[in-house]
Amino acid sequence: MSLAARRAEALGAHLPPLLVAAERVASTVAQGVHGRRRVGQGDSFWQFRPFLQGDTISRIDWRVSARSDRTYVRETEWEAAQTVCLWRDGGASMRWRSRGQPVEKADRAGLLMLALAALLLRGGERVRLIAPGSRPLHGRAGLERLADAMERAPEQPGGEDAGLPPEVKLPPHARAVLIGDLLAPLDRWQAAIARLAAVPLTGVLLQVLDPAEVTLPYEGRVRFQGITGAQSTLIPRVEGVREQYAQRLAAQQRGLAAICAAAGWSFAVHRTDHPPEAALLALYTALAPTARRR
Amino acid sequence: MIFAAPWVLLALAALPLLWWLLRVTPPAPRREVFPAVRLLLGLKAVAETPARTPWWLLALRMLAAGLIILGLARPVLDAGDRLAGQGPLLLVVDDGWASAADWPRRMAAADAVLDRADRAGRKVALLATAPADTDAAPTATVAMPAGELRARLAALRPKPWPVDRPAAARALRAWGQGGSVAYLADGLTDGEGWEDFASALGGIGPVTELRDPIAPARLLLPPQAGTEAIGVRVAAVPRPRPTELAVLAQTGDGRTLARLPLTIAAGAASGEASLKVPLEIRNRLAGLTLEGVASAGAVVLLDERWRRRPVGILAGDATGADTPLLGQAFYLRRALSPYTEVREGALDTLLGRDLSVLVLADHVVADGPERERLAAWVEKGGLLVRFAGPQTAAHPDSLLPVRLLAGDRQLGGALSWSKPAGLAPFPPGSPFAGLAVPADVRVTRQVLAEPDARLAEDSWARLADGTPLVTAAARGAGRIVLFHVTANADWSDLPLSGLFVEMLRRLVALSAGVASPAPGAAPLAPASTLDGFGQMVAPPSTAAALPANAVATTPVSPRHPPGLYGPENGRRALNLSAHVPLPAAAPALPGARVEPIAGRAPERAIGPWLIALALALLAFDLLISLRLRGLLRPAVAALLLAAALAAPVQAQDASEQNPALITRLAYIVTGDAQLDGISRMGLAGLSDYVNARTAATLGAPAPVEPGHDDLSFYPLIYWPISADAAAPSGQAISALNDYMSHGGIILIDTRGGGSGEGMAPGAAVALEQFGKGLAVPPLAPLTSAHVLARAFYLLQDFPGRYDGDTVWVQRDQDRSNDSVSPVIVGSHDWAAAWAVDAQGRNPYATLPGGARQRTLAYRFGVNLVMYALTGNYKGDQVHVPSLLERLGQ
Repeated sequence: MSLAARRAEALGAHLPPLLVAAERVASTVAQGVHGRRRVGQGDSFWQFRPFLQGDTISRIDWRVSARSDRTYVRETEWEAAQTVCLWRDGGASMRWRSRGQPVEKADRAGLLMLALAALLLRGGERVRLIAPGSRPLHGRAGLERLADAMERAPEQPGGEDAGLPPEVKLPPHARAVLIGDLLAPLDRWQAAIARLAAVPLTGVLLQVLDPAEVTLPYEGRVRFQGITGAQSTLIPRVEGVREQYAQRLAAQQRGLAAICAAAGWSFAVHRTDHPPEAALLALYTALAPTARRR
Repeated sequence: MIFAAPWVLLALAALPLLWWLLRVTPPAPRREVFPAVRLLLGLKAVAETPARTPWWLLALRMLAAGLIILGLARPVLDAGDRLAGQGPLLLVVDDGWASAADWPRRMAAADAVLDRADRAGRKVALLATAPADTDAAPTATVAMPAGELRARLAALRPKPWPVDRPAAARALRAWGQGGSVAYLADGLTDGEGWEDFASALGGIGPVTELRDPIAPARLLLPPQAGTEAIGVRVAAVPRPRPTELAVLAQTGDGRTLARLPLTIAAGAASGEASLKVPLEIRNRLAGLTLEGVASAGAVVLLDERWRRRPVGILAGDATGADTPLLGQAFYLRRALSPYTEVREGALDTLLGRDLSVLVLADHVVADGPERERLAAWVEKGGLLVRFAGPQTAAHPDSLLPVRLLAGDRQLGGALSWSKPAGLAPFPPGSPFAGLAVPADVRVTRQVLAEPDARLAEDSWARLADGTPLVTAAARGAGRIVLFHVTANADWSDLPLSGLFVEMLRRLVALSAGVASPAPGAAPLAPASTLDGFGQMVAPPSTAAALPANAVATTPVSPRHPPGLYGPENGRRALNLSAHVPLPAAAPALPGARVEPIAGRAPERAIGPWLIALALALLAFDLLISLRLRGLLRPAVAALLLAAALAAPVQAQDASEQNPALITRLAYIVTGDAQLDGISRMGLAGLSDYVNARTAATLGAPAPVEPGHDDLSFYPLIYWPISADAAAPSGQAISALNDYMSHGGIILIDTRGGGSGEGMAPGAAVALEQFGKGLAVPPLAPLTSAHVLARAFYLLQDFPGRYDGDTVWVQRDQDRSNDSVSPVIVGSHDWAAAWAVDAQGRNPYATLPGGARQRTLAYRFGVNLVMYALTGNYKGDQVHVPSLLERLGQ
């Protein structure tokens, strides 16, 4: 088992297996843990019924049948699984950490994604990456393969679509979890969320930020350069613009929250200097079934 | 300090501008990669106050810029003044023998002159005032840039002959290009023609004279042979303060046999000292050298004439002359042969070869050619020693110092009342003065001199009643000496006494040496010659052979450089000082500016250093800038800085070592630096020898002071005794006694054995005095049967630098100390024989000499160390013969 997957499992070990609140499960065909309260394919016992003409002999429950004169057939509850689509921004801007920080944003995002996937798989759900050519995965082996797929995921295209999930055909009524720094312009995010919500999908948006990106701790005369080097700006005195920067960042986060709220998604922020458990718990609560949703 | 390019300093005026520019230019921004740069785009600070470069960084940069400007202005420290005059510069260098002593300083001074001429852009020509090796008269080179002349100057060497002032004056007059003169003077007039030379110098232009006030030339003159000592003279320019010098008497292979201190009194032109060395040593002398002066003028070579003198013996009664104990020549040969070359034969044969002294024992010189030839030889410098006898008494001839009365005088005997007469003490003017007169010498017969007014002066020895016993008279360059008794014991006991030997020695020492050979002898080819620094080198190709009869009259010149001439068995020395004029201080040149040669720091161009410092500052500034821009981690910067500043750290030498860690020999510090040096070198040489030859491993020898140092670490302590050393204290004596009683061995060396009292007078007395408190057991002579003679090598005798004296060891066997003798007493000066100097040579010659003696000395040392380390382990070797005998039975 790869290191990333192992760390993710360790992180998720404190939380119970996650059963995602399933919506519109009827239309999903995959077998899973969400009982349908009707006879169907599944592991849970549902009822015994008398043998009818046409039933295969192998379905007869001989132990029950032996107690009476009639012959009974054992029926199980129809169970189905929810699919959760995961995406982590692996772009160049995520491959960065400020001075003194132990982890890059991409690492933290990957860890959170895998930990979430581990919880989901323990709960019997199916997970898949939002990436071209990815398939739904389940079972314990699924986590390993998910970690592999995450590492091998094609590099995000730069330019306009940098920092946005790729356009992939996704199953409807699944759940989506998008993790990234979410620094792309708001209108692009608006379009991306709208596209996903039209599938339809609901989900969670988690913004992972380096503390330097939150507090802008630099001083003096600094030339800031983007990761790809395309953009750069010279700030004569960083202290003078710290306030304005904080406002701009807050505006970005407010905009994202508004977009999510409009689409029925939830939005959370995580800093890489904070423990990942907090973020995982936030994702957990965002995905776990609540009384309200029931 | 001056600046070679002072206009560059104008750039210093631009420094404030640079300051302002650096001040207003904001520092280069730090570069930061930032993913959220999109959010920063277009942000404007509320109040833009651009960051400033820190003031200390500005100061650093200004300092670097200032240093670069200063460096480019080419500052020169301790630069000389501008040379006087215009046009080409003529550099006149005295390169005779007198310049050699401080030649490097002179060359440095000449280089400095070239530097100054170079700065002024003047061409320089060189004129060396001594004749060149090729015997070419001094001529000036063409004027050339100073840089090109440097090679010529570097090739210039001092010559072993004097400068030629008249020829140099001619060369100066032939110069004719004007300009100015820099004259590197040796401070001497160097014979004729100084005024002419001085006026020729002044005729060219302004003169700068570079003189050396520190080391005036000193000339070691040819020594004069005295009766017992060699008179050494050093001539120098008179100085207001007394000068201490030392003359080294050296053998042919450069070892020093004696060191003679010599003082030139204040204001005196010369100093004298007499070198008293035993005759054996005197015969080994090959040269005298002024200590510490590397110049041909500080070396006098001594040739065969200084060594064994040829002495002819001619007895009147030729047939019975060699009869033992009775013959006329018997005692003479016995007395003369140890230190002279004795020849016998007919008079013609004897005078046909070089001869210093001719002894005629009762030989009457016949008138005619024999007498004339003998008289001519005496006139030329021969020493004729005659002994009286029956023949001489009967037929006195004219080659006598005094007129003799006819017949002889009988003292004592059966028919006489008079008693045989003893000798009176020698008169002070006599060459025998100072010799002890033994009381038992009696004269029974003698010839009598005719009373004369001069008789008292001419008498070198008298009998107790005042009648002359030895008379002498000068004839031309030579002398005639008459002993008024026979050369055998017929007339007196004199030939039987040791006084006879001493008297003959003194007479031979008085002789002038080998007479000049006949004209027409083969010319003497140069064998080895002196260079300007007084080193013996192979003769240059330009050196020519010297006529054999002209050695004494030939002045040194490029054709005849000083050195040794002639075949191997008949070397003649041609000495520089024999014919050069005595050093006379040259008066100051009229109108010349005088500068000292030495005492001034050399010119140093510090421009490159300033620029290097500026570059280092700029490199430091680069590091700081990188750090300020965030491109350099502090750790990396510290590492770079540490690497740049790291100086090689040398491990401290643990000089104070624990003496218990390694076995080492020790010697007792006497306080005499030279003696202690010999002890140290000797024990070091012995330790090396022992380490090379045996399994023992000895460290460097340790100096010890008994009573102060703990002696128990050392197996063997060497104690050289000198007469003038302070007697050891009671504490030291008790420490030594304690050391001896606990198994230590002390080797006591009075260092004079075999040389009489010559080398270490008074040491035996000093030993008696020192040894009073020492618990020395009864001693016996060391024989080859002793363990010490068998401890490693089988030795028969135990020589050191000297040989022949007895070595004493404990007589009785002391079981408590393994029968090891706690003290070994001798006088062979072993440390001097073992001594090895820093160049790995043996600085002290062994006497009577030979590599064999030194080897035996080392072997004795090895045995000594083995004896000290193993005790009586080899004691059974003593019994080997009897053991073998028993085995045979």
